[in-house]
Amino acid sequence: MTALAAALVAAATACSSTKTTGGGGSEVQLVDAGKLTTCTHLPYEPFQFRKGKQVVGFDVDLVDLVARDLGVEQKIVDTPFEGIQTGEDLNAGKCDLAAAGMTITPVREKNLDFSRSYFEATQALLVRKGDTYGSLGALKGRKLGVQQSTTGEEYAKKHAKGVETVQFEDLGLLLTAVKTGKVDAGINDNGVLYDYAKKNPDTKVTAEFDTGEQYGLGVRTGNDALRAQIDKTIKKAKRNGRYDALYKKWFGTEPRT
Amino acid sequence: MSRRNRTRAVRTAQYGVLVLLVVAVALAADWSELRRAFFDAEVAREQFPDVVTTALVNTVVYTVLGFVFGLALGLLLALMRLSPVPPYRWLAVAYIEFFRGVPALLVFIALGFGVPLAFQVSINQYVTVMLALGLVGAAYMAETIRAGIQAVPKGQTEAARSLGMSSSRAMVSIVIPQAFRIVLPPLANELILLTKDSSLVYLLGLSMDQYELAKFGRDALNQHRSLTPILIAGLFYLAITLPLGHLVRRLEARAARAR
Repeated sequence: MTALAAALVAAATACSSTKTTGGGGSEVQLVDAGKLTTCTHLPYEPFQFRKGKQVVGFDVDLVDLVARDLGVEQKIVDTPFEGIQTGEDLNAGKCDLAAAGMTITPVREKNLDFSRSYFEATQALLVRKGDTYGSLGALKGRKLGVQQSTTGEEYAKKHAKGVETVQFEDLGLLLTAVKTGKVDAGINDNGVLYDYAKKNPDTKVTAEFDTGEQYGLGVRTGNDALRAQIDKTIKKAKRNGRYDALYKKWFGTEPRT
Repeated sequence: MSRRNRTRAVRTAQYGVLVLLVVAVALAADWSELRRAFFDAEVAREQFPDVVTTALVNTVVYTVLGFVFGLALGLLLALMRLSPVPPYRWLAVAYIEFFRGVPALLVFIALGFGVPLAFQVSINQYVTVMLALGLVGAAYMAETIRAGIQAVPKGQTEAARSLGMSSSRAMVSIVIPQAFRIVLPPLANELILLTKDSSLVYLLGLSMDQYELAKFGRDALNQHRSLTPILIAGLFYLAITLPLGHLVRRLEARAARAR
């Protein structure tokens, strides 16, 4: 019983909620004092992935800008994607915001609040070099790899009739499955697939499905102070060229306007 | 054929089949592919020293936290299970049946989200791990400890009571110490199981300094697209569990001698 009591005491003292005054003047509350805690799901190159001992990527740099405007450091927590897209990570106070190359969808909007869009994406198809599957129809009777809880999985469920979908927990496993031939093709967002095909010449992107998706950063429903701060930072970065610089750094091209 | 000859012939056939199987698997496998995937020396080197200083340390810390909490709760549950008060017994049985019957994976997810949602507090990571692993472990340990307590001869309690001890004093001073001697081997076994269950901690969400062995290995797999880190993580699990297994056998041997 003493152990339980000790645990409860520790839990109570570990609970912390601090206020940081953001640039907007409204008070932004952070779950961990002096840190902007970000929930993400690794790896999602080039948006967030490990390089050496650090997590880097486009999303990471973008959230760093928000953290800088708040005068705090960013801390990254790697967590399963279903906890991110259902909003439960945010509700449970695991993190202040979610940055996971996440598309804004009506269903997700019910679970969490999104910032303004910071990236445009569509679904795309990755296959091995020698293969020619250029559409979902061509994959009839074949295996299509999808990533759990993603918009790609949703798209495949709706449009890939007669195709056997195989679900993977993260992007790394999905890409490896395509490369090793465990599945015939993989569906995911174009940004990450083009990046992978560039670094792995034995694979290629054969199709894009015009899904017109927008990425947003997620905050807990009703956390308007932080959402306003994120929007402000994104807007500022787009104006002063920081955003374009980050885009170029991670995608090698200027953003389409 | 005499019985002894027949036994020998059957045994020889068994060995033969075994050798054939091993040879067949070894020939069928693509060794160069396997060597590339699992024995990449450069990738292996890159895992050090973090695999020890972060991953191994965290695995041990998580396991010990869960074990200590689980042991305390398990003892309490075992006593409740043997209590003359019916509601205590019912509670203990319900707890044990529930947590023994539900996958640890679900407990981790439910606890990681449920507790902060219910009490609107963000809980320290180590506390969450301790609760999740401990709650699961306690159910098994309670049954082990109960069996141990029941294995202490009744005469011990009766003698203690006739010396004027209260029943709770007799339990604490006489029965429980002897029960623990009996259950040490199965408890060490439980520690091995908890070591492996600590791999589920990733479900709670981890920052990089909180990675344990399994998460560390999977993360490095994604980073290097090489299975070598998985092999390394596995070896480090063995570095923990093999000595524990040895300990279990020693404890069992000692218990057998004492009898």
